[in-house]
Amino acid sequence: MIIDVQLASFLTAGTLIIIGLYAALFLDNLIKKIIGLSFIGEGANLFLITMGYKPGGIVYIFLPGMARDWFAQNAAYPLPFAMVLTSIVIGASTLAVMLGIIIILYKKHGTLSASKVLKD
Amino acid sequence: MNPLIPIMVILPIACALLLNLLHGKDKTIKTLAIMVGVVLPIIPLMTSFGIHYFGGYAPLIDDPTIAQGLPTSITDSALNLFHPAITYAFASAQQLFIFILGIVAFFAIFTSLSETKRVSGVYTFLMFMGTASITAILLSDDIFNLYVFFEIAALAQVGIILCSGIERNYETALKYMILGSIAAPMLLLGIALLLGLTGNVNITDIIYSLKHGLIDPYNPLLLMSCGLILFGWLYGSGLPPFHTIKSAVYSKALPHGAALLQAFSVFTFVALGIIIIRIFSYLPLTQWAIIFFSLLAMVLGITMALMQTDFKRIIGFLAVGELGYIGLGLGMGTAFGITAGLFQAVNEAIITSFLFIGFGTILYKTGISDTNKLGGLLVENPWVAGLVLIAGFAMAGVPPFNAFQSKLQLVQASISAGFPELGILMVLLSIITFMTFVKVFYTIYLRPRPKDLEIINEKIPKATIISMVAFLVICLVLGLFPHLATDNLAQLAQGLV
Repeated sequence: MIIDVQLASFLTAGTLIIIGLYAALFLDNLIKKIIGLSFIGEGANLFLITMGYKPGGIVYIFLPGMARDWFAQNAAYPLPFAMVLTSIVIGASTLAVMLGIIIILYKKHGTLSASKVLKD
Repeated sequence: MNPLIPIMVILPIACALLLNLLHGKDKTIKTLAIMVGVVLPIIPLMTSFGIHYFGGYAPLIDDPTIAQGLPTSITDSALNLFHPAITYAFASAQQLFIFILGIVAFFAIFTSLSETKRVSGVYTFLMFMGTASITAILLSDDIFNLYVFFEIAALAQVGIILCSGIERNYETALKYMILGSIAAPMLLLGIALLLGLTGNVNITDIIYSLKHGLIDPYNPLLLMSCGLILFGWLYGSGLPPFHTIKSAVYSKALPHGAALLQAFSVFTFVALGIIIIRIFSYLPLTQWAIIFFSLLAMVLGITMALMQTDFKRIIGFLAVGELGYIGLGLGMGTAFGITAGLFQAVNEAIITSFLFIGFGTILYKTGISDTNKLGGLLVENPWVAGLVLIAGFAMAGVPPFNAFQSKLQLVQASISAGFPELGILMVLLSIITFMTFVKVFYTIYLRPRPKDLEIINEKIPKATIISMVAFLVICLVLGLFPHLATDNLAQLAQGLV
């Protein structure tokens, strides 16, 4: 059975988000929570990038010799790709800060259990 | 194109980066931060209204030289009108918001520099970076650009909490980041859906596509997008279910930091709220969702403030409750209601900063924020106590201060919009706010002083008192001459109806 690439990407994005939400909400280990949060972010990124997919399309790089109209009709939509690049950078920064905080909290509490570290 | 429009964002970012590099050079940091801080509220007053296209890429209709030679399939279609680059729009409402944000930022930075013995370049960096991000959120007509600055602002807020050195600040910062790492991708998904449906991230173009039938406005995916963006809005502004973490965030920041953080929340609330109304106001559900969450914020914020003993937490919850008033104004959907709501936003940013910095003097003198351990402090600094009392009265909506005018307008707007019950609720909750404040004031200043209460800093810095007096003057000016603000806001409100 051949599945449409775009549909498969959407399903993967949805699966990543659901797994991520489960990990972030129900797992107690802080590192596992953070991995879950990364899944959510990557799921959103994949969803966004899938928006720019064009069946049978080409990469949006205008090469010498290409006809302008042909390029316009066949190139994938570049905006989502540019957006995802920015989103990846933001996600990496957020992840780094969270991991930094977790290192400090681990040194302070001696555990990675969210129920012990984050309880009021 | 007006080059001063992007300067409002570029200047604080450049200053922030420089301050970070200068960490350790106290005198230079102080001088630079004060100089740029003074300029922040001045730039919006000097900037003429208009639109700035990044890279100079205006819509084709505005730039016939580029349009020449393009196929008619482009020049005769909506593509002729669409914005090809990131666009910043600056009008009278943005001018007022950015001016007020600049004022709060300046006094927060001014107070922090005078209260802190060892000046931190990193801390000042975060304050400027956050201010730049919120300014960009207010200016941006590009919803993805808004998302980027929304994330930068969240990181700056976390940094401000981490720099405070208050007990359990790291735990609160992590909780806030975990929730943010769920809410931000949801906002991004909402934006992705809008992009997928309209092919655009420019808000004006998205609205054009909706109004001119380029896409079906009742597409279920649009409803989903609205829900996801609404979720991001709730997180960014601290409305329920994020009210508890937001008030915790305020309580784990230093008072000047908390003053700035609440201004960030207020203006994020306004900016995203306006975008939600601009894009989705044709869906009746949007109006009801805004009213529902605003009511919830008012009731939960103000009642939870009653139960707290930490004064920073009390102000934090009261600030969340006050956001509800703004939301009710926006949710009413009338020009008068929206103007009153936006006026309330301006007032809240000022008054809550006034309160945070005012109560911050208690923390500065005693190092304690638990009201059970405080008392009898009126004799220490009666003038400062008087200023704090005025700030509390202003928040509760006592005349002649600014919140009296905005709350009165909100009640009038609720009656004229056919929601008199909202007006009654607003009056009742203002009374509870007043009671909460009087209780806190009595506990801290008027009841007998506990024997073990020690004063660790005798003299309150002059900068703190100057900041409080400046906030008092603004409260009085806007209370006596409300048209100074409402005239600026009415145009935006008319456009949203």
